[in-house]
Amino acid sequence: MHLELDHIALTLGGKRILDDVSFEVHDREFVSVLGESGAGKSTTLKVVAGLVFQDEGQVRFDGTCVDDLPTHKRGCAIVFQDIRLFPNMNARDNVAFPLKMQHVRKAERHREADELLAAVQLEGMGGRRVGELSGGQQQRVALARALAGKPRAMLLDEPFSGLDEQLRDDMRTLVLDLHRRFGMTTLMVTHDPDEALVMSDRIVYLGEGRMLQEGAPADLLLNPQHEAVSACFGDTSAIRGTVAGGEFSAGKLRVPAPNRADGDAVLVRVKDGGVFVHSLSA
Amino acid sequence: MSRRRRGAAPVARFFIVLNLVCVIVPIALIAVWAFADRWAWPDLLPQEFSLRGFSEVFSGRLGTGWPMILLSIGIALATAVLSTVVAALAARAMTLYRWRGRSLFSFSVILPFIIPSTVFAMGVQVLFIHAGIARTVPGVVLSHAIVALPYAIIIMSEVTRAAGTRLEDAARSLGAGTLATTVHVTIPALLPGILSSLSMCYIMSFSQYFLTLLIGGGSVRTFAVVLFPYLSSGDRTIAAAYGLTFIVITFAVFLIFELLLKRFGMKEERTLYG
Repeated sequence: MHLELDHIALTLGGKRILDDVSFEVHDREFVSVLGESGAGKSTTLKVVAGLVFQDEGQVRFDGTCVDDLPTHKRGCAIVFQDIRLFPNMNARDNVAFPLKMQHVRKAERHREADELLAAVQLEGMGGRRVGELSGGQQQRVALARALAGKPRAMLLDEPFSGLDEQLRDDMRTLVLDLHRRFGMTTLMVTHDPDEALVMSDRIVYLGEGRMLQEGAPADLLLNPQHEAVSACFGDTSAIRGTVAGGEFSAGKLRVPAPNRADGDAVLVRVKDGGVFVHSLSA
Repeated sequence: MSRRRRGAAPVARFFIVLNLVCVIVPIALIAVWAFADRWAWPDLLPQEFSLRGFSEVFSGRLGTGWPMILLSIGIALATAVLSTVVAALAARAMTLYRWRGRSLFSFSVILPFIIPSTVFAMGVQVLFIHAGIARTVPGVVLSHAIVALPYAIIIMSEVTRAAGTRLEDAARSLGAGTLATTVHVTIPALLPGILSSLSMCYIMSFSQYFLTLLIGGGSVRTFAVVLFPYLSSGDRTIAAAYGLTFIVITFAVFLIFELLLKRFGMKEERTLYG
């Protein structure tokens, strides 16, 4: 689905939350909205889902304005940071819930739910109660549940920030894999620059409700056009990846790395905005 | 720490015993009185036992017996359901939405709490006589519901606030309309509060004497109305038999509430968890 936000503005309680936000997510594209907390990222997602209504501007799905469509008819499944599984249902019934809403017969929706649980590596866990699952398992059930209704778009609201580091890497790989396999159009909100860099086809940087920059991950990383963007990438954390043919790659991030040997490498950023690729192979 | 705990144990035990003495002993006393025929001082137990009290309760003489018991249960159930439904909606409006006059409304629903029910009853009586619903069963139900409502609203506001709209938002984004969200997500989340509210309102109505007498005007005879004269006239056997029947019925109704709601809330797709 081709998703468009057209000059979206929103004021809540006298405070400008979103100010002239316009961007697109093309069919099957993975776009991240990056920014600090309070930048209006989650609100943007809620506007797309119809949980919050904008004061100005239009939301369009495949060119059709959806502003009059209620949330449950928009077909945008959200995966929340705080997971939000239904505690009165087991894992299978949680995943089958969107199918039940589409009046799919019980045997059929249970079969589909079990297949989806297998796709998120939770085979045979359908009968478990939500409380019996670990945080990582619960978030995978939530992912399967979001995919079950064959949504037009998947909206991820900081989906990994409740998980520990090791789990987060696995989940990122899983999400990208599902995004590709199910041909999803995905919009993710995150405050983690590394996450945005390696997962996204494009990044939209939001600061205090305004769009500060939009582009490919390498664009924002190498040519930040706003202080906030450069500051965001300016911490000293490193991204592991590989160099091949003079180009460093990690996930979807591609950065030129001339004169570097092929093999494992690490990308390091420093406070002044410089980016270096260091070869790890001898 | 361990010293304090050792020191606290006898105190805790004292309060537990005190509680048991205050609750269990009077109930046990009622149970014995209900079957006593003659119980003169200074004997520890009655000299003679009989079922005179219960035959009076279930005899059906003077508009008592089973029809009266069923009417009382019916009025109490109607009150419980009416108050809980209204409270659930009011709690939702007060906790999840912002609107003009909200705080005034919040205050007005709690108001019957502060005004003594005897004072309040007179106002209600005048109003109901004008409205033509005094001396009718619906009038009695309505008056009970007004008194029970503040309790129900306090309980429902608490659970509604705790539940918020988190799960509802999730359900809506997954394609659930308003009705489906209410049935599959909202009601199960509010279930503990709904159960407390139903029980609380039921017992408020079932034990309501003054309002029933005033609004019912003697033509609506409920358990509490029939029971009261026996207490004041001094026939302890009959009063105790009424008391014991009251306790048993209340327990049975609470048990049924619990079973029904557990079934409704914990079962989805005919699989019982937990």
